[in-house]
Amino acid sequence: MQKSMKLLLRISCFLVLVLTSCATNTVVKDYATVALEKSSYDVPYFSNPTIDYVYKANITVYGNELSGIFIAKKINDTTHRVVFTTEFGNKLLDFEISETNFNVNFIVEELDRKMLINTLITDFRLLLRSHYAIKAQFDNTENEVYLSEEGKRLNYLFVSKSDNNLSKIVHSTKRKEKINLFFTSENNIFATKIIIQHKTIPLKIELNYFKDQTN
Amino acid sequence: MKSNVFLLLVFINSFCFSSFAQEQKMTDNEIAVFKQSVAMVSKKIKSLSTDFVQYKHLDFLSKDIETSGKMVFKEPNSLLWQYKKPYSYAIIFKNGKILINDEGKKSAVDIGNSKLFGKINKLIVGSVSGDLFDDKEFTISYFKNKNQNISKFVPKDAALKKYIKQIELTFDKEDATVVQVKLLESSADFTRIVLKNKVINAKIDEASFTN
Repeated sequence: MQKSMKLLLRISCFLVLVLTSCATNTVVKDYATVALEKSSYDVPYFSNPTIDYVYKANITVYGNELSGIFIAKKINDTTHRVVFTTEFGNKLLDFEISETNFNVNFIVEELDRKMLINTLITDFRLLLRSHYAIKAQFDNTENEVYLSEEGKRLNYLFVSKSDNNLSKIVHSTKRKEKINLFFTSENNIFATKIIIQHKTIPLKIELNYFKDQTN
Repeated sequence: MKSNVFLLLVFINSFCFSSFAQEQKMTDNEIAVFKQSVAMVSKKIKSLSTDFVQYKHLDFLSKDIETSGKMVFKEPNSLLWQYKKPYSYAIIFKNGKILINDEGKKSAVDIGNSKLFGKINKLIVGSVSGDLFDDKEFTISYFKNKNQNISKFVPKDAALKKYIKQIELTFDKEDATVVQVKLLESSADFTRIVLKNKVINAKIDEASFTN
């Protein structure tokens, strides 16, 4: 009896594993596939080289809170400079990031961990990327969704029908959502609020645009 | 071509002159008088409150990032540093604790006897009150211009040096109080804090230092 129970348990564990790993992600589950309207989508939020993008940043990671100032600027056609400082202005990290390269200009010892840097690079690339090639399009009453493929990773871009603003990016594999980015924008020039929510690690980055910054 | 060289010379000359006029090294005697006057003022400070405007300069940005707020200090070591614009963020150093209020979200960190935080606390209070002249902690150099005295502090402590390359305090010549604090991270990037509406020894309510 005990033996058969163990066997049953093993089989069910195996089944759970197989079934979950076969499951496809449900990002556009309730959406209808529609014909492609365009072959690419351009995100305006960090694309203007004359704008200093300055945000108050609040980061929650594994239950710890960290806050400071997030600064991004497009410094040439392919590259953004990204700096994170404390409220007092001390630099904590200073990166240069393009879609294919990155360079760490500075990072404080306490944050100098390979895993953390790689996570941030992925997040910042998603945040700053301005051009996506579109493979498929989906639609419901509220949103137009564009699917962009990037090797094994998929990016779903949610564009709200009411104001034509990009409101969400879901970064996923074929099976699982990895990172969600939520954007709030009033003018479709920059985002006033951004939330980067990880699905596989307890990491959330919230960015709020500096109210007094008018440029 | 000749005129170009001439213009260049004029430019270099005027540049040298203006920088000469702006900032001059103090003599040993001037240093002694200056230090004494600052020590006299800072010794009298039992409490201090001031408004400030902080300009974060990063060389790749088109303009400095401006934040502003108020700072309150009360002897022996209670300190409030509060940003009001463009967001509300307050940090309080009191009895070995750091209290933070970030847009209403409150937290506390026990720093106990953390040497580095002790130094930072001393540094902030010292920067604003002018009482930073510790030769053991800093290599100090002294300059002057028409209306101001400027002292430059290079930290000796390795831990502190990682965060701050140099601190520059600008003093008003008349009343020997600090009007500007500049923290240099590198030659191109720095934080400049301008102090305004300073009030010395007004009665400060302890409640200012609660979160």
